[in-house]
Amino acid sequence: MAALSTVAPQIVQAMQVATIVLGAPLVSGVISHVEARLQGRRGPRILQPYYDLAKLFRKETVVSEDSSWVFLVAPIIAFVCYLVVPLLIPVLTTYGLPLGYMGDILGGGFILALAGFSVALAGTESGAPYAQLGGSRAMTFGALVEPTILFVVFAVALITGTDLPYALAATVRSSTSEMVRPAHVLAALAFFLVVLVDTGRIPVETHTGTLEFGMIDEARTLEHSGAPLALLKWGAAMKQLILYTILINVFVAPWGLAGTGKLSSVMLAIPSLLGKAIVLGCVFAVIDNLFSKLRLFKITEFIASAFLLAVLAVLVYYAGGG
Amino acid sequence: MAAAPSTYAGAADVVAVLVLLTEFAMLRAPLLRSQVRLYAFQSLVVTALAVDIAVVRHVGDLYALAIVSFVLKVVLVPGLVLRLLGDADTDLAGSSVLGVASMILIALAVSAFGFFAVGSLQVHSAALPTTALAIAAAVILVAFVLIILRADVVSQAIGFFSLENGVSVASLVVAAGLPLVVEVAFLFDLLVAVVVFGVIMRVHHDRAKTLSTKKLDRLKG
Repeated sequence: MAALSTVAPQIVQAMQVATIVLGAPLVSGVISHVEARLQGRRGPRILQPYYDLAKLFRKETVVSEDSSWVFLVAPIIAFVCYLVVPLLIPVLTTYGLPLGYMGDILGGGFILALAGFSVALAGTESGAPYAQLGGSRAMTFGALVEPTILFVVFAVALITGTDLPYALAATVRSSTSEMVRPAHVLAALAFFLVVLVDTGRIPVETHTGTLEFGMIDEARTLEHSGAPLALLKWGAAMKQLILYTILINVFVAPWGLAGTGKLSSVMLAIPSLLGKAIVLGCVFAVIDNLFSKLRLFKITEFIASAFLLAVLAVLVYYAGGG
Repeated sequence: MAAAPSTYAGAADVVAVLVLLTEFAMLRAPLLRSQVRLYAFQSLVVTALAVDIAVVRHVGDLYALAIVSFVLKVVLVPGLVLRLLGDADTDLAGSSVLGVASMILIALAVSAFGFFAVGSLQVHSAALPTTALAIAAAVILVAFVLIILRADVVSQAIGFFSLENGVSVASLVVAAGLPLVVEVAFLFDLLVAVVVFGVIMRVHHDRAKTLSTKKLDRLKG
């Protein structure tokens, strides 16, 4: 019986990816529902993103005559990238699974960057002005956020002696003194701001608006339709859940993960991750309602404060091992 | 790879980091009022740090110091400056020589210098972890940056007052049991500074109809 209740690590790894793929639209749906409620609207159904995706997959795909194969391949590349990242991060388990150590945090960051690059490339390839604007803006702000991410990785590497996400999660779990040490708190805060930028939330971008001039990430996909658009939307939801997972399971609350390959504990880890992601999503929804969108040229100031936190994390570490 | 400080030391460090972060926030605050409020908040954090040490290390004098510094730095000084600001009808400082992002980068470089300078001193303290001393040094240096880069009287006054907050944190680290008289003397120094800066603000605003110090470089008899 014992053999039956234990799942092979390969299967657990597949479940990690499946959790992200299938759970991402749910998390998005809950967030937009909560957001609507906070604004006094009734809001869409929680399962609405699934219906949207199903509808888009059935629709026909219209492609501009001026665009090339890149326009159609890019959404697939991005989607595949988002399928790879969950292999590297602790989604369900506290221990590394097969292929789990093929990349560190930087490796995961590179794969996410490749996805962002291919989507921006597709936007530029479409030849439409707004999609091009979105693509170039996304690349610009992506480049500005990069140093912050690097310093967060430095802080993690200093604290744990390695830059594997599993190692940091284990360190944080090990004692409260690891939780409250300033280097960790600052790095986690900086990463929180990075997530805010990368998921296109309010101080940086309104993700529900239709005004193209303020758009960054949203504008890139304006020219896509049908199945490629579905892949892009699904990919955006997965990226959001991936970033949430890194923030939760690596930095802030790495509890509720499966410590063994037992079926029951792995199955329990799925609702625990989704629950934590939804709580975090509600925090983002509240932030959405509290603040207004920054003007485009003020976004650098926002990114500068994230950079400040990340650099201070490293500095505090060097001054007395904080 | 250094071991984590104890939970208490880590939490105290986080509070000290909060003092540093409010200093950075002052640097970028566009409204003069919000700058004063940030100063009040920073003083509150410093007071909390003093109370914390008083409780943990059983230093009775620190309670008295915390009360005096609360009354002076959280209530009295910000209240006075806000009242002076109420007379002058300028809200926005608009006095930054540089953009916010570059100011933050400069202040970051300067505070990095502070961190490494104090780190090389090898001071050890019983009351607070040494990290807090490095943070205090960074607070003082960033306060200097604030005074240098923002050309209005209020920012310069607030920069000076918050410099005193940095000194308070440093003295809590190095000598938590400093005689009360010395500590209170520091605070009354601050009070003198408030009076001086208050007069400067008044006179300057009356003469130049602005709080900016950019016009002060003209040599006129």
